[in-house]
Amino acid sequence: MRPRPDACQANRLGAASGPAGAVQGGMAGGVREVLTLQLGHFAGFVGAHWWNQQDAALGRAIDAKEPPGELCPDVLYRTGRTLYGQETYTPRLILMDLKGSLSSLKEEGGLYRDKQLDAAIAWQGKLTTHKEELYPKNPYLQDLPSAEGVLSSDGVWRVKSIPNGKGSLPHTTATTSKPPIPTEGSIRVWSDFLRVHLHPRSICMIQKYNHDGDAGRLEAFGQGESVLREPRYLEELEDRLHFYVEECDFLQGFQILCDLHDGFSGVGTKAAELLQDEYSGRGIITWGLLPGPYNLGEPQKNIYRLLNTAFGLVHLTAYSSLVCPLSLSGSLGLRPEPPVKFPYLHYDATLPYHCSAILATALETVTVPYRLRSSPVSMVHLADMLSFSGKKVVTAGATIPFPLVPGQSLPDTLVQLGGATSWTPLSACGDPSGTRCFAQSVVLRGIDRAYHTSQLSPGTPLPSPLHACTTGEEVLAQYLQQQQPRVMSSSHLLLTPCTVVPPYPHLFSSTFSQHCVVLDGSPKGSAVESIPVFGALCSSSSLHRSLGGLAKELTKLDLRRWASFLDAGVEQDDVEELLQELRSLAQCYQDGDGLTD
Amino acid sequence: MAAIKAVNAKAEVARAQAALAINICAARGLQNVLRTNLGPKGTMKMLVSGAGDIKLTKDGNVLLHEMQIQHPTASLIAKVATAQDDVTGDGTTSNVLLIGELLKQADLYISEGLHPRIIAEGFEAAKIKALEVLEKVKVKKEMNRKILLDVARTSLQTKVHAELANVLTEAVVDSVLAIRRPGYPIDLFMVEIVEMKHKSETNTKLIRGLVLDHGARHPHMKKRVEDAFILTCNVSLEYEKTEVNSGFFYKTAEEKEELVKAERKFIDDRVQKIIDLKEKVCAEFGKEFVVINQKGIDPFSLDMLAKHGIVALRRAKRRNMERLSLACGGIAVNSLEDLTVDCLGHAGLVYEYTLGEEKFTFIEGCVNPLSVTLLVKGPNKHTLTQIKDALRDGLHAIKNAIEDGCVVPGAGAVEVAIAEALLVYKHNVKGRARLGIQAFADALLIIPKVLAQNSGCDPQETLVKVQAVHLESKQLVGIDLNKGEPMVAADAGVWDNYCVKKQLLHSCTVIATNILLVDEIMRAGMSSLRG
Repeated sequence: MRPRPDACQANRLGAASGPAGAVQGGMAGGVREVLTLQLGHFAGFVGAHWWNQQDAALGRAIDAKEPPGELCPDVLYRTGRTLYGQETYTPRLILMDLKGSLSSLKEEGGLYRDKQLDAAIAWQGKLTTHKEELYPKNPYLQDLPSAEGVLSSDGVWRVKSIPNGKGSLPHTTATTSKPPIPTEGSIRVWSDFLRVHLHPRSICMIQKYNHDGDAGRLEAFGQGESVLREPRYLEELEDRLHFYVEECDFLQGFQILCDLHDGFSGVGTKAAELLQDEYSGRGIITWGLLPGPYNLGEPQKNIYRLLNTAFGLVHLTAYSSLVCPLSLSGSLGLRPEPPVKFPYLHYDATLPYHCSAILATALETVTVPYRLRSSPVSMVHLADMLSFSGKKVVTAGATIPFPLVPGQSLPDTLVQLGGATSWTPLSACGDPSGTRCFAQSVVLRGIDRAYHTSQLSPGTPLPSPLHACTTGEEVLAQYLQQQQPRVMSSSHLLLTPCTVVPPYPHLFSSTFSQHCVVLDGSPKGSAVESIPVFGALCSSSSLHRSLGGLAKELTKLDLRRWASFLDAGVEQDDVEELLQELRSLAQCYQDGDGLTD
Repeated sequence: MAAIKAVNAKAEVARAQAALAINICAARGLQNVLRTNLGPKGTMKMLVSGAGDIKLTKDGNVLLHEMQIQHPTASLIAKVATAQDDVTGDGTTSNVLLIGELLKQADLYISEGLHPRIIAEGFEAAKIKALEVLEKVKVKKEMNRKILLDVARTSLQTKVHAELANVLTEAVVDSVLAIRRPGYPIDLFMVEIVEMKHKSETNTKLIRGLVLDHGARHPHMKKRVEDAFILTCNVSLEYEKTEVNSGFFYKTAEEKEELVKAERKFIDDRVQKIIDLKEKVCAEFGKEFVVINQKGIDPFSLDMLAKHGIVALRRAKRRNMERLSLACGGIAVNSLEDLTVDCLGHAGLVYEYTLGEEKFTFIEGCVNPLSVTLLVKGPNKHTLTQIKDALRDGLHAIKNAIEDGCVVPGAGAVEVAIAEALLVYKHNVKGRARLGIQAFADALLIIPKVLAQNSGCDPQETLVKVQAVHLESKQLVGIDLNKGEPMVAADAGVWDNYCVKKQLLHSCTVIATNILLVDEIMRAGMSSLRG
């Protein structure tokens, strides 16, 4: 029996973490596994960036520049073994996308392939071959070591040694020549820049709908739902879930990255429903993703987006422990608002490649609590803390990068940062100023221990109470307390920064590169490799406005004009019900000051 | 000028002859794609995607699903054909061929000035007559294993090579016969298909029991047990609950500890109940004990079970739970209260097989299993998929045969017979509608013609020979595809499903008629939402 160290703040959340560990004694080392689902093409973009970032961080860890990670990669990755006994380390991931969206990526991935066996054909009669034009591999991926079988010198077919991120094997990104940043123009699909090998059970293609072209698109919520009603896809998903879940000893839950703007909102809904049915008691955290700005010239697409988003949000909320919309646009509504701005980033909001990179960085930060190596906050717990009294939808915000100036300590920077709304809103809920926060989970990562507390020589008058704190954690907690008194906050402070090596796009403005801390100590002006990030999940009253606004816009909509949306399996009554639920969800977030105080 | 042009200048309109030409063109295009598939001598198609993924098929249904069909008419035909497959499990290619041919034959008369409506009338009359003939030629007999083998072989030989077809035929027939229960409809769901990427395709076999694609998760559990009790349950043996809302229940660390212990004990008690039962029955009968749980079992519980010599599998698939109790007997329990020996199933042999990172658990030696497993083997993914598709069709063919209680001779024999009968019937019909009947009869002959063509014979020559023998012998004569000569289909053991043919005649006539009667095609701001 080994009591776990409680490094978190002394709130209920921190104190409650790790009861399992206390009882299971020796087995406390058990990793609390999370299974990731990526549904949709934009989810694929975000996911690809996220896995790349994690992979790069794994590579750095092996370079031993940092202490053994504060984050436990085993939470999201699994160790496997090919038929040839080669160890693999791949994301515990199921992703769904449409026919034609993979480009040069093979459905089964390269890790477990055997070229010789694959060529065997079970037919002796006439055979015609219909070959699609071979998709060129993105030039940027050319250096990615192919993991396919090669003929080794002793004449046996073997799979080349595969970087597994843990052992002493060379790592993909740790190769001597750094890959160049791919050009924006060369990125059409997410597989164009994915540098992580996937398990053959990861990619599940929906053959029924096309990724490109005019016909056979997955456009409406109802279509998405019906995909997972078909036994063919349902069994496929169940089998894959079974494969990953069965091997988990302490599964803590599922994170679903799901496109909200198209039919995938329906796929996500069905998937979440299945998870809730089959794995009750596990956390289900859903990240509803919306890509960049909409084109007003396509009214139908815009209306569909609105409907899909509303249906997706409401239903996903019903089946998940926590739902967080993620988008860089200013609002969920029909009228486009300018995309959000980051003081130190230049990005093109029309490029999914850029938007997804920013959202991935935010995810990499706000998901920290349930991925910690020591005293993690389980998904169920995190959701519990943020979602009391029905507030299952939360907003995300992040300061990317966190502007830590060299020579200045964390208290200095936080004092300069000032207001509570220091982070850029990432949930398309408009300007958070003037809104109330009910509960929040905050993560600040990438701050060197030397800067955690004030470096002022004794005797100097303290510029703020923050400077009196003795640990970085205290500084952060105190800061949150100052900004938002009466709010239940949980905070985590990590040394590990977010890795932003290519294929992460170069978004950083020159002011950042020149002024701010480049943590790995590389000289100023050189490419930024890792950044500190300040991120938060927050149950905020801004949701009252945006969800209410969504309901209002839907009420105004003449749905008979969009009969084709209803044809796809949604009834008029469902729409009424949806509006009702959307309104009551919005009601949950009404600023209760007038009533309770 | 069409009225639609007045309101939408961008609208595209095609009328009368032009509209028909567009539709017939689409139907024939589709026909040309699929015609080489038909029959055991058809051409296998290898589809290679841009990324290099391979798909190997000659199943019309699979091909239609793979193709990105943009033409609305073609897409309509494809939907009808695949719908046929959903219902009966076969006949997609024939469907497409027949629709295309009906339209082609109709076009000959329409181009000479005959109104499509009259052709449609003829088609309708011909269909009714054709169904009568089908009724007459169907062979009603007891569906014993021999005839089912013939039915399955006929179906499977069109999808996979002969050697493999023979292996699959036996497996498929025996699996359906095993799960068949008098008084119940056949539930193909009770035949589990498990794939194993291993060895060659001819190692595919029937397992009279179940194969689960996971194994016991404890190093000390036995990899092989004989003569074992099987307990199937749906009970969580996992410590999980305290996390939910736990924050509200305790104030101090001691209280928390207490709560945690209580919760753990709760799970331990459940595990103990299983152990108690095991101790009791195994002492009595001297057998081994296997637990298969739909919910999770955490390492702690696994440890307890392993110590008592129990083999435990966790997270069995939901759909396997029903199969388990049908295969081994016993009942799946949802609670561990009142466990008795009656809840237990039995298996003669349970063993684990490891393949790379994947494990398989074989549960065999079941007494009279009502659920069985087809274990598909093959060296690569595309072979596995190909076999799975073939098995599905084979299973359907047998199910259809048993449910119909009759079969019809294959190898083009039925089509030849119906065409012959229609030509006689034509003379009883007054007016121009008889032209429609003529067209229908000619169209049906596409099936024997393409069969002959695909086997490398001259289609006309073969057809004439077959028709001659048919007239002479009054027997149902089809084509021997190996020789290109006429043969009596029934003697050669080539049987098709009655319901497939019936469905085929119905749906082809309806669709061909509908397409014929289209006299205007408009495309005006249509949504791309076609599902």
